[in-house]
Amino acid sequence: MAYQKIVKKVPVEKWEKLSDKLIDFLLKSKKEDKMPSGLANTILSQWQQGSLTTEAGLAALLEAAVLLESEKTMELLEQELQLLDIAKAVKEMK
Amino acid sequence: MVLGMVRFGIEFVPREAYWKTIYYAIQAEKRGFDNLWITDHYNNRNVYVTLTATAMYTKKIVFGPGVTNPYLVNPVVTAQSIVSLNELAPGRVVLGIGAGDKTTLDFVGVEMEKPLTSVVETIEIFRRMMEGKSVTFEGEVFKTKGTKFNFKTKEKIPVYVGAQGPKMLETAGKIGDGVLINASHPKDVDYAVDCIKRGVSEAGKNLADVDITAYTSFSVHENLEKAKEAAVPVVAFITAGSPNVVLERHEIDLKKADKIRGALKTGDFGQAFGSVSPEMIQAFSVCGTPDMCIEQINRLLKAGISQFVVGSPIGPNVRKSIDLISEKIIPHFKK
Repeated sequence: MAYQKIVKKVPVEKWEKLSDKLIDFLLKSKKEDKMPSGLANTILSQWQQGSLTTEAGLAALLEAAVLLESEKTMELLEQELQLLDIAKAVKEMK
Repeated sequence: MVLGMVRFGIEFVPREAYWKTIYYAIQAEKRGFDNLWITDHYNNRNVYVTLTATAMYTKKIVFGPGVTNPYLVNPVVTAQSIVSLNELAPGRVVLGIGAGDKTTLDFVGVEMEKPLTSVVETIEIFRRMMEGKSVTFEGEVFKTKGTKFNFKTKEKIPVYVGAQGPKMLETAGKIGDGVLINASHPKDVDYAVDCIKRGVSEAGKNLADVDITAYTSFSVHENLEKAKEAAVPVVAFITAGSPNVVLERHEIDLKKADKIRGALKTGDFGQAFGSVSPEMIQAFSVCGTPDMCIEQINRLLKAGISQFVVGSPIGPNVRKSIDLISEKIIPHFKK
């Protein structure tokens, strides 16, 4: 729920790139054991329904990416996507 | 054969967390693959757990173990697992069965006893149980005494036989609905199809009745060097595991293959991978840019395959490679 609030602030034009990058982080991550199975199942359901670029999908991806690849995710938000407010909100959540 | 009729399959080895494999499975379905195969090795995630998740998260892709074996899973349990899966995904399940991998079986201390007979008997038990009958079977390897499911079975489930040697290939042609050949080169497919034809003819069937499936080691990328780089480790293992007769068929220097075997045994992967030659990549993988892969797939189709399976490594980045295959390769064959 908290992540859903955070992603509401992401401009729509950045949804696709954010989603794509987060999926890449998750699939390449060696820290698979940090992924809660409930969250993994949510992501898979959303992927099946084609909703990983919606607010709900992005919230699940962001939550998982912060758990598995925190550093890379913060770098993506702060530097590549220049989503400084989002990065700040995520830091406060952690 | 009509080239446009080829089916595209994809193979996943469930060595990563289940959610990664299932992510790719969903992606494969969305991107137009027809079949999905999950390998069965005791040291990876369980094949039926992975297939169950596949059934739950997909709607139309056809899937099955590629392949299971009669040594680690009793034929009756294989039949039970496959029929139960088919209840979850009616009409989408196939059974891939082969003799197994000797190296893996050695680890478990299981003898690969009478591989041909074991596979034939497993298929016999499987088919009879699928018919819902009480099965009493007196085989050389397996025996059952009135085994029967306590539930109704649905439609006939196709059986694909994983085959390498001439006798298994011939038998696969005779009794299989499909044959899974570990081959990426037309020379190997030519050889296999000749053997399959003998079995098909003995059974009085047509070759078109059997789905001849090439399980390839595949690597695609827009940049050839990146595609090759991803293929090298898999090709090193295939080269090391290939009998001399296969290496000679591809004019591969036996000494070079020995060098790779030795390096892999001692864990010197740098040496092993560094010894992989362009000839080895050509013989044991379908590798390159999308256009190069199309050309190689066309050659395999001409050699007689009806299903092309994209197997490990798929590419340097599995997700991007699946997209690339979907955008640039599959449409070429499914216009």
